[in-house]
Amino acid sequence: MQTQSPRSRKRLLKLKLNGRWREDAVAENQLLVDYLRDVAGLTGVKTGCDGGECGACTVLVDGEAVPSCITLAARCHEQSVETIEGLIQQGRPNRLQRSFHEKLGAQCGFCTPGMIMAAEALLRRNPHPNDGEIRLALSGNLCRCTGYIKIIESVRTAAETPA
Amino acid sequence: MSADPTAGAKRPGVPLIDGIEKVTGRARYTADLMHADALVGRIFRSPFSHGEIVRLDVSKARAVEGVAGIVTGTDCPHGYGVLPVAMNEYPLARGRVRYRGEPVAAVAAIDAKTAEQALELIEFEVRELPAYYTSEEARAPGAIPLHDDKPGNLEREVHHHFGDVSRGFAEADLVREERISCAEINHAQIEPHACLADYDPMSGRLTMQSVSQVGYYLHLMLARCLEMDTSRIRVVKPFIGGGFGARVEVLNFEIVTALLARAASGKVMMQLTREENFLTHRARPQTDIRLKLGMRRDGRITACDCEVVQRGGAYAGYGIVTILYAGALLQGLYDIPSIKYDGYRVYANLPPCGAMRGHGSVNTRHAFECLLDRMARDLGLDPFAVRRANLLRAPTRTLNDLMVNSYGLEECLERVESASKWRARIGKLPRGKGLGMACSHYVSGAAKPIHWTGEPHAAVNVRLDFDGGITALTGAADIGQGSSTMVAIAVAETLGVSIERVRVVAADSMVTPKDNGAYSSRITFMVGNAAIDAARKLKAILIEAAARKLEARPEDIECGEAFRVGHGAQSSLPFAEIVKEALVDRGPITVSGAFTCPPEAQGGKHRGGAVGSTMGFSYAAQVVEVDVDEATGVVRVDKVWAALDCGHAINPLAVEGQIEGSVWMGMGQALSEETRYVEGLPLHASLLEYRVPTSAESPAIEVQIVESHDPYGPFGAKEASEGALAGFPPALVNAVANAIGIDMDELPVTPDRIVEALVERRRRARLATAQRAAS
Amino acid sequence: MTLMPEFELARPRDVGEAIAARHEHAGSRFIAGGTDLLVQLRHGIDRPDVLIDLSAIEELGKITSGPGGARIGAGVSIAALARDATMAANYRAVKEAAEMIAAPGHRAMGTVGGNLCLDTRCIFYNQSEWWRRANGYCLKHRGDVCHVAPQGQRCHAAFAGDLAPALLALGAEVEIAGTKGRRRMPLGDLYVEDGRAHLTLSEHELVVAAHLPPDPPPSAYSKVCVRGAIDYPLAGVAVALGMNEGVVKSLQIALTGTNSRPFVLSGTDAMVGRPIDEAALQAIERLVQKQVQPMRTTNASAHYRRLAAAALARRLTAALGIGSRPDAAVSAVR
Ligand SMILES: Cc1cc2nc3c(=O)[nH]c(=O)nc-3n(C[C@H](O)[C@H](O)[C@H](O)COP(=O)(O)OP(=O)(O)OC[C@H]3O[C@@H](n4cnc5c(N)ncnc54)[C@H](O)[C@@H]3O)c2cc1C
Ligand code: SF4
Ligand code: FES
Ligand code: FES
Repeated sequence: MQTQSPRSRKRLLKLKLNGRWREDAVAENQLLVDYLRDVAGLTGVKTGCDGGECGACTVLVDGEAVPSCITLAARCHEQSVETIEGLIQQGRPNRLQRSFHEKLGAQCGFCTPGMIMAAEALLRRNPHPNDGEIRLALSGNLCRCTGYIKIIESVRTAAETPA
Repeated sequence: MSADPTAGAKRPGVPLIDGIEKVTGRARYTADLMHADALVGRIFRSPFSHGEIVRLDVSKARAVEGVAGIVTGTDCPHGYGVLPVAMNEYPLARGRVRYRGEPVAAVAAIDAKTAEQALELIEFEVRELPAYYTSEEARAPGAIPLHDDKPGNLEREVHHHFGDVSRGFAEADLVREERISCAEINHAQIEPHACLADYDPMSGRLTMQSVSQVGYYLHLMLARCLEMDTSRIRVVKPFIGGGFGARVEVLNFEIVTALLARAASGKVMMQLTREENFLTHRARPQTDIRLKLGMRRDGRITACDCEVVQRGGAYAGYGIVTILYAGALLQGLYDIPSIKYDGYRVYANLPPCGAMRGHGSVNTRHAFECLLDRMARDLGLDPFAVRRANLLRAPTRTLNDLMVNSYGLEECLERVESASKWRARIGKLPRGKGLGMACSHYVSGAAKPIHWTGEPHAAVNVRLDFDGGITALTGAADIGQGSSTMVAIAVAETLGVSIERVRVVAADSMVTPKDNGAYSSRITFMVGNAAIDAARKLKAILIEAAARKLEARPEDIECGEAFRVGHGAQSSLPFAEIVKEALVDRGPITVSGAFTCPPEAQGGKHRGGAVGSTMGFSYAAQVVEVDVDEATGVVRVDKVWAALDCGHAINPLAVEGQIEGSVWMGMGQALSEETRYVEGLPLHASLLEYRVPTSAESPAIEVQIVESHDPYGPFGAKEASEGALAGFPPALVNAVANAIGIDMDELPVTPDRIVEALVERRRRARLATAQRAAS
Repeated sequence: MTLMPEFELARPRDVGEAIAARHEHAGSRFIAGGTDLLVQLRHGIDRPDVLIDLSAIEELGKITSGPGGARIGAGVSIAALARDATMAANYRAVKEAAEMIAAPGHRAMGTVGGNLCLDTRCIFYNQSEWWRRANGYCLKHRGDVCHVAPQGQRCHAAFAGDLAPALLALGAEVEIAGTKGRRRMPLGDLYVEDGRAHLTLSEHELVVAAHLPPDPPPSAYSKVCVRGAIDYPLAGVAVALGMNEGVVKSLQIALTGTNSRPFVLSGTDAMVGRPIDEAALQAIERLVQKQVQPMRTTNASAHYRRLAAAALARRLTAALGIGSRPDAAVSAVR
């Protein structure tokens, strides 16, 4: 949640956000997380730390799960950015969102958007991960509620569900 | 409800009623609330550990364009705190600062940048005083007191003696004494603290949306500190990203933000950094324990003598309760004929400690279970046998007058013993691998609330209107533990209707009844009972209406989605029809349910006797399997088997989730989490240095739910969220001892501590050989 | 507190433009993945007025290999390096090191160049502005004492990048571009033992690529840290061991996390011609213990980091020596 000074230079950022192209003038020092939350209104993207330590802010940039709190927005020019909001298709949560709900992969839910995005990147790359691969893929996403047990179960269940 | 102990595992669970919002990103946590029109709040924190404030000049900061309000200690002359007897803290320091990071002033400005510029211009000087960072320094003769009314820097001493300890030790075949210490740890909930305060100068009303676990305390403290009438304050809880005790006490930043909102006549958003979360702290204190136990050859405990010193930080907070819990909860798990407890809560120039999951019980339980294992080893007994030799028989009352009405520990022991194949494997694992076990327990809510008002311990309202929707209104804060879902289930099950018919509105002081809050695992037991009570009242009204409609006797009516006479399907009416009938003449229905703990549950008559008192204890046993790398000191947890007696699992899915989460949190404390300071500055104030375990090294946890059916619990239920935590650290330390033959006396068991212990063992072995050679 | 400082962002298309931009703006900095630099900026360490973003430079983004060895562009992501088939087949230590860096998100963004040019770390330095100010700053940044060794006049902050030791053990060179053109030198020459200024790069130079020689011996990397992911190495060790008929043909051991620079252990030449037996392993442990200089720059004790480094060196050498891949226990170290 940072405000930009009128002094800092802006540039035009054109990106495909959750499937739709859009353009915004963004300050060159603006972080992707602040652009997504404050400019695009996508508050599903969370912030849990002071930079790069928790994974709560994870989004997909060109399909790769990255921490948006240590990514400059301007860097995403002409790239595709996806957030938790973008996984909903025609009002229907996707398979990971459904399995996290049904299997209690989300308790307080604060790590959940980042966790699901990291899992989404995994399943696109590796549709049938084993538990070890799931654990490694999510290892930058801290959760304080679940002990990860039901998160891993949720990802496993989603992988068994046709996309 | 069925008394089949395995039923809990078989019943399907219910996903959280607010789960879809969470997984779709629609859930709005405090930082997500619309605040484009709000000012940005920032706090100026003391860079000094201890000093008298000589000068605080905010005039330059005030002059910055875009600054809308500045507050300092002069804006709030009222102390606050969670315990009415120990309110020795101000939201912004007055006269003296006592730890690095203590709030001194705060700014509200049009944007973050302006607010931070203003902070830079605040001039602050103190006359420095000696600072103490350990209990020992703070208690040393000649140390100046942090608080003038607390000589020796002792916030509270507790001396309890039950039974005859000296006789107990005399009767023992083995007496062993150990010193064990546990590092300070933090809740590290993933959502950083935040709040949004909106003050309307025209109406004089304040609306506060915050991460609080107990909106009621916040409400009271806001009224006190801002000298406002409680009726002009509204406290609302948005979605909350975890609590674990961090947000039970009212936190300084919440009051500060309200002060700012009033000073600026507007809306102020305050979001703390992760570092500030660690400075706000309020978590489990660094603890030194000296424990002496007496045991007979058959494993029976004869006496317990325990001294606990907690380094509590600079202010009282929950300290008195924590130090009382540490002693009181030596009881309630085993049958111990004599107990002596001496507790010391010490002030130090560090961020104040507070309540954290397993409040007060965890570190003493850790020491106790470690010592039990060591004594079992000395006597050649199996760790399970030692626990079995000391079981309670419910119903009973402990020496300190706590009631135990249901007791599933024996079954927990059986479950984890067989699931882990303990008997076949213990002692037969290869070098470096080990098994350890431990037991633990926790209260299902304090039977005596801190703020004694004479009101019921919990109240729930249930509404029914023309639409047939049932709305439960509860002040209980769902912080991710699923309490709103529990209320929905309690109401739906009592009425026999589908859960989709029930909505829950939680924690908005304008509409929901007051609740004592989400702490000490009270919600399921107390709020659950109140919800059932309310639902029963509604049920009576509906049955009466159905009886009229169906022309039958009320006692023959079955309530549910359809109302029937007896078991016959011939005369049945849909729910909507009955609602219509029930609303005739009386209009929309609101019923109130309540729950009160009876006096006999409220603890002993001795001083501090109310702490530890509860309607029922949860019980847990666990087995931990480890792999210790002796070269690098890295301890890997291969597997955990945990069983917990929660009386009855109202929502087995949520109970499993709570057990997994608490066992795992115990693992963090056991292996990697630790808050360290240099000269009062935190060395751990990030999620990189404060090492919350990642998914990579977290083990599989096999959970078993045991249902002992508590006579007073809602459907027989007790707590499930905290009881299993305290068993993990000792089970791990016992497993490490089993793996490499070293008893670790310090938590967390980090790689460096293991390696240092191995080095020390080799040094001693060399010394012994040298001595033998010499003699 | 975590407010981003203001800066302009330049996005050069090629190396020449990048160097020119750096030359033009005295207060500029290169940014690659940004996974370390942006954290530092948020902590108020360093306030560059221009960031020169290297991510659009195509030349930096490739891995090529051939008879002359492998060339890894400085802009190659850590994730791409970890997935690369050549690394997996010939340069195991590099692959293993890449896999152990931070967490998947950092690996997707972070680059080889950024990892090699990583700033040194210290618990008195990697803190917020408020923290460092309250502590009176330190030698490395704005202050005049070192809190780790107050008597001394140098900074002991530790280099903790994981890739450097793996590349060092395999005899890598770095290719550097600057206003005066390009040069190549042994990777070891990129570093000096000074926590305040551990890189020998001059003002306008940037790392373009790392070159690995062909026909490498078998190699492995391992590190100790408290958690299974995210954590920087408390000590990290790479070993490249060539054996011939049961005796050592070549042995290179390199370390990270213990000193202000990653370095190649000296004295391993003496092992050539000897079998990897208990005596050799003990000698290696002694060499490591003697040459590492861990200081109190991490929350774990310096003594521990010394012992752990030695233990890792021993273990990796032993595992490579018996010709098998490091066993399960070794990967558990991570
Ligand atoms: C929570 C966390 C954990 C981490 N854990 C680890 C870990 O375990 N191991 C590890 O090695 N790292 C770790 N890192 C650091 C970092 O993610 C990686 O080292 C990464 O590879 C850095 O690359 P980058 O491209 O992101 O660097 P940047 O942040 O872009 O740059 C780092 C520095 O290198 C300079 N630089 C970048 N490219 C060049 C170039 N081509 N020529 C000259 N100078 C250049 C920059 O100016 C800057 O000073 C961690 C980071 C975080 C936030
Ligand atoms: S080693 Fe000393 S000078 Fe260097 S960063 Fe740490 S405290 Fe500062
Ligand atoms: S908020 Fe981005 S990693 Fe924590
Ligand atoms: S569900 Fe609460 S942090 Fe993961």
